[in-house]
Amino acid sequence: MSAPAAVPGAAVPRTGGGRTGPPAAVPRSVVLGLTGLAGFAAVQEVAPRLLHLPADVLPPLSSILAALATEVRTAAFWSAVEATLLQWALGLGLAVVAGVGAGVVIGSNRVLRRMTASTIEFLRPIPSVALIPLAVLQFGTELRSALLLIVYASFWQVLVQTLYGVADVDPIAEQTARSYGLGRWARVRYVLWPTAQPYVATGVRLAASVALILAITAELIIGSPGLGQEINSAQSGGATALAYGLIMVTGIFGLVINVGVRAVERRMLRWHVSVRGETV
Amino acid sequence: MLDVRGLRKVYESSGRHVEALRDLTFSVEPGELVCLVGPSGCGKTTLLKCLAGLLDPTAGEVLVEGRPVTGPPDGMAVVFQEYGRSLFPWMTVAQNVDLPLRHKRLTRARRAQLVGDALAAVGLAASPSAYPWQLSGGMQQRVAIARAVAYEPQVMLMDEPFAAVDAQTRADLEDLIRSIWERTGVTTLFVTHDIDEAVYLGQRVIVLSSSPTVVQEDLQIDLPRQRDQLETRSLSRFTELRTHVYAEIRTAQRRTSTPAAAG
Repeated sequence: MSAPAAVPGAAVPRTGGGRTGPPAAVPRSVVLGLTGLAGFAAVQEVAPRLLHLPADVLPPLSSILAALATEVRTAAFWSAVEATLLQWALGLGLAVVAGVGAGVVIGSNRVLRRMTASTIEFLRPIPSVALIPLAVLQFGTELRSALLLIVYASFWQVLVQTLYGVADVDPIAEQTARSYGLGRWARVRYVLWPTAQPYVATGVRLAASVALILAITAELIIGSPGLGQEINSAQSGGATALAYGLIMVTGIFGLVINVGVRAVERRMLRWHVSVRGETV
Repeated sequence: MLDVRGLRKVYESSGRHVEALRDLTFSVEPGELVCLVGPSGCGKTTLLKCLAGLLDPTAGEVLVEGRPVTGPPDGMAVVFQEYGRSLFPWMTVAQNVDLPLRHKRLTRARRAQLVGDALAAVGLAASPSAYPWQLSGGMQQRVAIARAVAYEPQVMLMDEPFAAVDAQTRADLEDLIRSIWERTGVTTLFVTHDIDEAVYLGQRVIVLSSSPTVVQEDLQIDLPRQRDQLETRSLSRFTELRTHVYAEIRTAQRRTSTPAAAG
């Protein structure tokens, strides 16, 4: 009888693979990206001057940046930033908790899934902005008004992705867990939730962008405090350069949020095929 | 230990009526290593799922230690053919082996000991913190076997566990199963479509017919208890037994294919 002890290579898991880019050189994509950005900035600076555009239509980049530089020294700017981020974070948080919770409950119950499928497909496409009159009627210009819009728009993104994730549980994995006597809760925690995680992460990433859009929309239209409201007042006060500057700030927020969520996603899903970057 | 009585399974779906298992009766004594062999498509996996309490039979019953199986019974471990899907990619090797122990009310130290011993027994003592997907197929199936061993089951069910690994790995894993069985004395039911494997591993081989399945033959394997890949397989008794089982399976196939061809 041969002993099972000597397994060649058992001590050395086949890691390797993965990222093997050039170590020191800046990646080509970064160089190209920065070149594109610089080009865009140059056009933004030169075009208004060459075309003699009036400053209240499109001011050159330098005056936008100058207006912004003055603005960031004011307390009003920072309280607007704080208000926007607070709305965004609260709305997103509520949507994620509700979306994941509802997704797991609905997704793991076949009857419930069939019962709700058509309702979800009906409610999901309703643009959140269509709810503005309702929100104002109910809550006026309070924070709750903006939250209603943000949560409504982001909730569906998370819910639908969670439903996909729950449906993706491998029957063999599920049978393995059941055969080892794992109860319902243990199977949700150790099998269903990790399976759904990549989908939930996608849902959260989509929801994070949507939540920012709706936060700014609510501030612009309902007039709840935040960057949107600042943009509105800059525009109506004739401070076009500042309005452009604030719009740039919202764009930067969108970018930072997306990059941040992706980074968290990569850390959490180290084990997932999309992240571990090697063939099995 | 394991009693199967008049087991029947019919799949009914939208007018289709497929009788996978017709009437199966056999029993496995405590500490036996029994191989179930049958032609492909004879309902081996259906049978195993009924035994594991993952599928409800249409008629008949399965008893584990005298208790009827209505859900996955305590003290039973299943090793699936699809190790890649049966192991959890989000857990390390050690976490995979540990997971079934979590609800067994053991101390942390005891669990760690069981995991360590089981990994050592399958020759993976050095890879507890690797992820399953970093290992080769044969090593992944070793992890699944370690998980079953650490669970300290009374009955171990194996569903064609080596169908997807190469011949050399397969021979090593067969000897691993023999050595675990020799050491722990765990009652083992090993399902396979490979006649050589069944004769080499088993103390007893149960030959199943083609679907709808009945027990074709129940055969004692009177080979020496110490098995060796080269020696045992070159014994003339081994050849006789495998030829006999092969003939039985051929008969079984003919028996079911003839009326089908006539009708």
